[in-house]
Amino acid sequence: MIEITQLAKKFAVENPKKLSEQEQKDPRLKGKYFHSVRDVSLKCEKGQVLGLLGPNGAGKTTTLRMLSTALKPDSGDIKIDGRSVVSTPLIARKSIGFLSGATGLYGRLTGRENITYFGQLHGMSKKVISNKIDELASLLELETFLDRKCDNYSTGMKQKTAIARAVIHDPDLVVLDEPTTGLDIMAAQTVLDFIQRLKSKGIPVIFSTHHLQEVAELCDRVCVISHGQTGFDGTLNEFKALAPASLNQSFLSVIAGSNN
Amino acid sequence: MWMVYLKELKEVIRDKKTMFFMILLPLLIFPVIFGGVVYFTSKATEEAKTKTLTYAIENPQAASQLNEALLSEKGLERIDLPENQTITDWIKAEQADFVLVVPEDYSNKPLETGSNELQLYYNGAGFNAIKQRLNTLIEPIATASRTQAFESLQVNETQQQKLLEPIILTEVNVADKRENLGEIVGGMVAYVVFILCLQGAMIPAADLGAGEKERGTLETLLISPIDRHKLVLGKFFTIATAGVTTSLVTVLSMAVWGILVGQSLAIEAITEFMGAIGFVDFLLIFLMLVPVVAIFSAILLSLSIYAKTFKEAQGYMGPMMMVIIVPIILALMPGIKLEGVWAWVPLTNVALAMKELIKGTMDYFQLIAIFGSTAIIAGLLLGFCVFWFNKEKVLFR
Repeated sequence: MIEITQLAKKFAVENPKKLSEQEQKDPRLKGKYFHSVRDVSLKCEKGQVLGLLGPNGAGKTTTLRMLSTALKPDSGDIKIDGRSVVSTPLIARKSIGFLSGATGLYGRLTGRENITYFGQLHGMSKKVISNKIDELASLLELETFLDRKCDNYSTGMKQKTAIARAVIHDPDLVVLDEPTTGLDIMAAQTVLDFIQRLKSKGIPVIFSTHHLQEVAELCDRVCVISHGQTGFDGTLNEFKALAPASLNQSFLSVIAGSNN
Repeated sequence: MWMVYLKELKEVIRDKKTMFFMILLPLLIFPVIFGGVVYFTSKATEEAKTKTLTYAIENPQAASQLNEALLSEKGLERIDLPENQTITDWIKAEQADFVLVVPEDYSNKPLETGSNELQLYYNGAGFNAIKQRLNTLIEPIATASRTQAFESLQVNETQQQKLLEPIILTEVNVADKRENLGEIVGGMVAYVVFILCLQGAMIPAADLGAGEKERGTLETLLISPIDRHKLVLGKFFTIATAGVTTSLVTVLSMAVWGILVGQSLAIEAITEFMGAIGFVDFLLIFLMLVPVVAIFSAILLSLSIYAKTFKEAQGYMGPMMMVIIVPIILALMPGIKLEGVWAWVPLTNVALAMKELIKGTMDYFQLIAIFGSTAIIAGLLLGFCVFWFNKEKVLFR
């Protein structure tokens, strides 16, 4: 089980005057610090998919970066199966598969070399990596381009390879930051199918998105973040119940509620 | 750590731009420089010697012998100086290459009239061989007058020699050829090696830090289960390898081309000089480069990881070149030797030591200070690099 409690993270702002008008009006800007995440809590059980929603700049990416150990929280805790990610980041990294929003690949390496490199960093043997790549290649339809240099990949090819790279070590938790943004319908569907497959294997997935249709299709739980705080954390049905008309209305009602 | 190193190295080798700066440029730059200098200099000299020069002469009748010599010389074309123009303006307007003014009291008898002062007007802004060409015409006439004068004074040939050179200063230079050449070449070697080392390390450095940020691969790398210091070391060694490779290729290219030029042009001094530098000296030069490269690599990696983009990283690295030049210039200054405080000044001491090794006058005891100070600084900088790689403010700017 993944449990995030009262997570907070602030960043120093070198020159507050350089911020945009909207950023200057943000209640999270206090003096020389921007409190990007103020109080985020959420829960996700084994085999569940959690959709992380929120407007741009709400603190979704910062939350996911803390969950992936790229950033260290100022306060609060993240626990995976009872073990703290914050106090033992190196161990936690072995159990997390993370795909960042702006992820890239090493262009001068082939897709296979990219995935192998991260497998090796996770301490896997070459044979195990090779078998795992074969398995992922057929699941994600990578065979046709896997041995070409990544410089020539399309956005969809890159995203599929990046997903394979993120799950090469069979993580206990998969975190995806806007995994379908910028993809065409076919590539996006491959990603969604992959999440579905992880779910069926009992691996919890936390992913941020702006597409409520994806939430409806995949998620068991929903968490809405607004201005760095949890506005909603519950099941999909509870989220739907907030506004029976549509998920959009449910989302807007949470944002309106947290703004008041 | 070696996993990171090998992967980074693979990427560096596959990057054509980096390989160009690392290997091809140092390999080709020396033949191009040597060849270019030799070709253009000889071409310009040849042209200056054979070009037909236009000239005017004032009072030619006073020096008939010289006048005849000028007229019969191929490659000289006489024209007349217009009456309403001064010599200076005429030459400046490029109407003639030179004007020779012969004094009215010109005489072939120096004992009676003293020396004759001819005035040569020419534009010396460009490369030319006017004076040289005129001297070949004047010299035999002057020698003939001198011999005639000596004969009239009944001075024999041996006495003539002694009179012409009453005091002779004979140089006895105790420095051997290697020391002499080493003084000139040694300083230059440090200069070229340092700069190329830095140049060769720069592109991979920018790619390994800022490049990762720009491509979006850094975040994924940071959350892989590898200690941060191992990550830094893997990248650091890649940059250092690039730097050392560039400098090795440079030194080898310089040595090979030096020997080739020496042998083909039969310059014995160069061949002898190259042969005199022993294997141990080359090895020490290389070993001293190791901590220097470590200093460069640590600074470059720190700058690179701070920058948001490849371009920004290169912007920070450019001025570093200027900073590096200062300690090398210090080593080239006269009077600065590898002793006392200077043996502890980083980079300057290595540059000085390289010079001493090439000259063959190295005080090997100073190696302790050199390796000591350079390694301490390199270690501190590497420590800073690891610290820098742990700062969220730097990684997620």
